[in-house]
This record gives sequence, structure tokens and C-alpha cells, in this order.
Amino acid sequence: MMQQFSDWLAATFLSQLFAGMSWFVPTVQTLHILSIAVVVTTLGMLDFRLLRLIRSGPPLQTLAGNFIPWTWRALGVLLVTGILLIITEPTRELMNDAFRLKMLMVLALVVLTLVFQTANTREPGYWSASPARRRLGAVLGIASLLLCVSIVAAGRLIAYL
Amino acid sequence: MNLLAMMTWLEHRPFAIAIAESTWLFPIVETVHVLALTVVVGSVGMMDLRLLGVGSKDRAASEVISSSLPWAWSAFAVAFVAGSMLFSSKAATYYVNLPFRIKMLCLALAAVNMLVFHFYTARGMAAWDRGTPPRAARFAAACSLTLWVVIVAAGRWIGFT
Repeated sequence: MMQQFSDWLAATFLSQLFAGMSWFVPTVQTLHILSIAVVVTTLGMLDFRLLRLIRSGPPLQTLAGNFIPWTWRALGVLLVTGILLIITEPTRELMNDAFRLKMLMVLALVVLTLVFQTANTREPGYWSASPARRRLGAVLGIASLLLCVSIVAAGRLIAYL
Repeated sequence: MNLLAMMTWLEHRPFAIAIAESTWLFPIVETVHVLALTVVVGSVGMMDLRLLGVGSKDRAASEVISSSLPWAWSAFAVAFVAGSMLFSSKAATYYVNLPFRIKMLCLALAAVNMLVFHFYTARGMAAWDRGTPPRAARFAAACSLTLWVVIVAAGRWIGFT
């Protein structure tokens, strides 16, 4: 079914138009990588704070208040540029196991980030309120870091599978 | 011995041949390179956006810089080592590649820009640490941001040429 959808998408006017412009894919990929830079850096810095590998700087909730809006904006750009790349080369992406795994991990990362942000907004200082919360925060931080690294790796591996 | 001959010599070193001939070594090193460069661009971008008055407005410029710099430098070290490994595998090809040369030129310009900022512009930072940075600082930040976008774009273009 997915293959049929890919074939249909590849035959559309838009797909043919994008695929016909040799600068299109590298340009969109550049925007995609720049947005990944924003997501990985903002989340990575917050994760290091959750893991208490970095203890200096403003309170976690202040840092999160600064960073998370940029994380969501970048994720918005990633969604748009990602869809453009799928439209241009449907089979390369949709039929690729690395791509499918990447999408599952992106979903998990979005859920983790929402959990982190919601707790932080409802109760500033939530993640440092007790030893149990700190441990939970550390687990969230490790999971988020591992997901960021794996998402980038899976993204790059799409080109090799 | 001219530079091109040196590149040919480099790509015939055992470690360079190993990267070129292995199925998975190149993608793995490339993934490390991409992951590191996202952190470089993200942390440099954070400093630039603070200097431009766009992001982290409630944090002192010096605080944003001192918390981002360790990320930028450690990630740059990783990106540099991984990038050098990738380069060695096809040194002569990359050496004559136009996007590669543009990338190296922009890296050099970014270094000069950073040194000028560090040794001249940042000297009076105490006066504007919590306010709007002077024109020279905003100019340096705009140059840095532009150069890093071109570095990422040129890097991506290498794969398409």
C-alpha cells in the first residue's frame, strides 16, 4: 500500500517539479539540518541540566522558557522541509526502514518534550522539587539525548539503506 | 611536491583506504560529523542570536557566551576530527571540489570574525552585557550566522557534486 502511495506521489506534478530542480533537495536538506541544529542544541543543553552534568547558569525553568519555543519552531520547519523531501523522493523515504524508525523516534521525542514542558509550566521547579523528581528528570534527560543522537543517525542512514 | 600530490598521498594512507573501502565506516564517521556540526551551529547560533537581540534577551550576553562556548568548542573538535577522516578518504577529489573550497573559506572567515569579536568588540562587553549590543557586535553576529549557514549549505552540496 505504501509503495502504491509512493508511486502515486512520485507521479504528481509537485513531485516532478521538485525532482526536476537540481538545487531543490540540497537547499531543503540544508534548512532541515539547520533546524536539527536548533532542536539538538536546545534539547541537549536542557538534558545536560536534567542530568545535572551542568549545574551552572539560570534556573532550568528559565532556560527551558527561553529554549523550548525555539525547539517547537524548529520542529515546525523540520515537518515542512521533511514533507517537501518526501514529496520529491517518496520511495527513498517512505519505503526506507531507517526513515520509518526515525519517524517513530521523532514521535517519542515530541512526547518527552511535551511532558518536560508541561510539568515545567504547571509547576516551575518541578524537575528539582524532590530526589524522586530529579531521578525521573535524569531518566527523561537520558532518553531525550539518546533519541536526539539516534534520530540524527537514522536520518543520515536513510541515504545508505 | 604540490598540494594535489599531497592529497593523493593522503588518500593512500592505510586509515584513509580503510574508510574509503569499508561499507559502514564512512556513514558512521559522517553521522558523528553531522551530529557534532549540529551542536556547533546550534551553540554558535545561540550566541549570535543573543548578540543580535533576538534570543535569550533576559540573559546577560556574557552568560550566554560562557555557557555556549564549551559546547561550541568541544563539538567543533569532534566535527574537525570526523571531517578530516572523511576528507582523507577522497582527499584529492574533495580538494578540487568547489563547495568544499567554499566551505573551507567560510570556516576561515568565521575564525577571523570570531577573533576580531573576541579581541576588540567584546572588550567593552561590561557596558552592554544586559542591554542591546553595539553595532559592531551585531554585525559580527550577523556575519557569523550567515557564514555558518553557508558552511552547512556548502557541506551539504559536497554530497551532490
